[in-house]
Amino acid sequence: MLRVAGQVAAVVVVFLILQWLIGNLVTNYGRLNISFDFGFLNQPTQFQIANHPQFNPRSPVWRMVLVGVKNTALAGVFGIALAGVLGLIIGIGRLSQNWLAAKLSAAYVEFFRNIPPLVVIVFFAFAVFLYGPLPNLRQAIEIPLFGTGRTALILSNAEWGVPGMRSTGNLLAFGVSALVAVVAAAVVWRWRTRLNERSGEPHHRVLWSLGVLLAILVVSYVALGGPLVIDWPQLSENRRRIASGFSINSGFMSVAGALGLYTASHVAEIIRGSILAVPWGQTEASFALALTNFQRYRFVVLPQAMRIAVPPLINQALNLIKNTSLAAAVGYAEITTLTQTSIGNGRPAVQSVVILMVVYLGFSLLVSLILNIVNRRLQLVTR
Amino acid sequence: MTASTLEPSPVQAPVGGPLTWVRSRLFPNLRSSILTVLLTPLLAYALYRAVLFFFVNGRWDVVTRNLTLFMQGTYPRDQQWRIVTQIIVLAFAFGVGAATSAASQVDAAREAGLPVVKQGFLSVLKRFWSVIAFVLLLLYFANTATPWLVMGGAIAAFALGSLARFIPRRFRSVGWTLSVLALVAAFQVVAGTVGYSWMITAVVLAAGAWSAFKFEGVEGRRAVVYRGLAAVAAAVVTYLVYMQLVFPGVGWDHWSGLHLTLWVSAFAIVLSFPLGLILALARRSSFPVLRWLATGYIELIRGVPLITLLFMGQYILGFMLPQGTDPSSITRAITAMALFTAAYVAEIVRGGLQSIPHGQTEAALALGLPTGKMMRMIILPQALRAVIPALVGQFISIFKDSSLLEIIAIDEFLGVRSLVHAQADFRVVAHAETLVFVAIGYWAFAYAMSRESQRLEVRLRAGRK
Repeated sequence: MLRVAGQVAAVVVVFLILQWLIGNLVTNYGRLNISFDFGFLNQPTQFQIANHPQFNPRSPVWRMVLVGVKNTALAGVFGIALAGVLGLIIGIGRLSQNWLAAKLSAAYVEFFRNIPPLVVIVFFAFAVFLYGPLPNLRQAIEIPLFGTGRTALILSNAEWGVPGMRSTGNLLAFGVSALVAVVAAAVVWRWRTRLNERSGEPHHRVLWSLGVLLAILVVSYVALGGPLVIDWPQLSENRRRIASGFSINSGFMSVAGALGLYTASHVAEIIRGSILAVPWGQTEASFALALTNFQRYRFVVLPQAMRIAVPPLINQALNLIKNTSLAAAVGYAEITTLTQTSIGNGRPAVQSVVILMVVYLGFSLLVSLILNIVNRRLQLVTR
Repeated sequence: MTASTLEPSPVQAPVGGPLTWVRSRLFPNLRSSILTVLLTPLLAYALYRAVLFFFVNGRWDVVTRNLTLFMQGTYPRDQQWRIVTQIIVLAFAFGVGAATSAASQVDAAREAGLPVVKQGFLSVLKRFWSVIAFVLLLLYFANTATPWLVMGGAIAAFALGSLARFIPRRFRSVGWTLSVLALVAAFQVVAGTVGYSWMITAVVLAAGAWSAFKFEGVEGRRAVVYRGLAAVAAAVVTYLVYMQLVFPGVGWDHWSGLHLTLWVSAFAIVLSFPLGLILALARRSSFPVLRWLATGYIELIRGVPLITLLFMGQYILGFMLPQGTDPSSITRAITAMALFTAAYVAEIVRGGLQSIPHGQTEAALALGLPTGKMMRMIILPQALRAVIPALVGQFISIFKDSSLLEIIAIDEFLGVRSLVHAQADFRVVAHAETLVFVAIGYWAFAYAMSRESQRLEVRLRAGRK
């Protein structure tokens, strides 16, 4: 009886505190004549976003939110890819027999794990790019493609130009044929797998699927008369911007690169831990089967280590997405930066921060959903 | 050890000269040799560039000329004596704490009849080498004699505090009280003794009085009453003394630099722990509404980045308080950091609670212990002990995350950068130097903490076997 009373009291206290806080909020908003609706989303943002020419100060706030979400996702995806690859290499490197490789990997992990990710981001943005060794866009370094008179790469302290793709029409038809190619490749993959299970023939499914994919792509590319051409990077006449090709701005490279490097140290530790967690008997068994080093890792150790590694790796992916918010310190136009600018421009703070939190919660849910499906597929099926 | 687990045989240390070592660790087979050949020039070039940067080309005058700015930021210079005193009093507090801790470990070992392992001076150097190296780096960069004097004073104060090991065993708790009291005093030397600051001191002294006066000759319940009276008396005396003191200080909205980083992290850590504990217990409560509230809070906070909470603190918290109350932006930031970390602490503690075998609960119930006592005396001590390493990891994380205050325009250790590069001499140069120096600073503290947590992990695991 007393316990129930105590718990009811606790709930009532929590409720009263919330009521007090929200009551104050309503009073203060009423006093300052700010409304609680989301109508401001349709008003113009009144500021320009760098590197987004199609966005202007008259664009509504909801478009700003979309730009922010897109940039957060971009930095997150590239950061996760970099962290995954680098982390795997360093994690395995730390277990290497080679003294140099092991020590270098250990030093990398101990260094990056113990400094704030924000310091790494700021270092990239200011010491590598803005005030770093590269010249500004006016004097940008243009690296030529040998013997063609074209530029392969434009390097400057603000943005880099790399070759991109440009459509010359028929893009929709090519997109459809690409989709067909992917489906066909998947069907071939299943067919080879089934065949292997039935007859024991080697499946070679990677080769087969890739072959089908490339064949369909090449045939449709030629048939459609080259719907996509390589767009070589080029500076504009006044050398103020990169006119063609694909341009990557330094903010993106700082955030994705720095978070990739930082998170790789955590990924490496997870990989190392999970490889060590695979029972030694498995390794001994693969020695007994005379598997090569590569075969031992590829077919015996890594599949089992991955099972242990995936849940903590999911956590790291989530952390990386959340850490893209640190871009606010270097002005890369992702959702946190834009929200901060927007609040500074007089948009209502409560609604803006609520949108910001909902965006991150959405990302967290999405990423954990995708990776949990991966996790379920990797887990041991107990019969 | 069960028969089913095969342990790898320990790697045999190669016998023979350095050549054998090189062959077995760098060129054992073709692939490893290729790796060595590829890595060596890369490493050599990196080292060459690093040496150039650190000793030849680096504009380190950006640090030497702004060392005070990095350490204390825009803190008023004429009040610097307060920070100097604070460092010395802190050293005293650590000295007393370390000595008391060592003495009680010796006691425990004697009681259990185990050999007493003395912690040598060298082992302390080894454990905290990164912080010591950073302090030496600071002294190297120092232009004036002040840092050296402060350092000397701190060492003397630490040695003085170490005398606490001679406090007789009966009064061991006095050592702890003295250590915490010195910590509080160190804070108040700078922050002043105005407002509610008497409360912290009163709580410390009351707890100290409670544990110092045991009233061993007195009957059970009477002793509790006497100890309670002693505690209340200590609190009242503290209040009366503080009312007489007129010692205004420099509030923390005027702090910045490394000084602010360290205090903000300390406060966030100290505040987040009890909050997290309450949340963890609420999440495992048998009362559904409480459980849902706690789960909802924890999952919400863990789904968003810290910066959104800092934004809430900066832009919204002001609206959520009655008109007129206007906490400083540092108070709001600390609140946000503590609320954020509490959710993570709660999950860690919950993990610890779940790791306690149910037999412990059953045994406690069989002894007729009420729930509160069971938690306090049986479950929590085991659960918390098991999760100490994970908690330290979380605290490292909040220490690193304190750099986010830069984004909301609070000049902590990283944020001082903007003041340094506002100077005409360093507008476009020496950005790398500043950031490397700042990174070394963060690294020194975080690395020492992570080494401590690894040490604890090993020790706790040893205790389990």
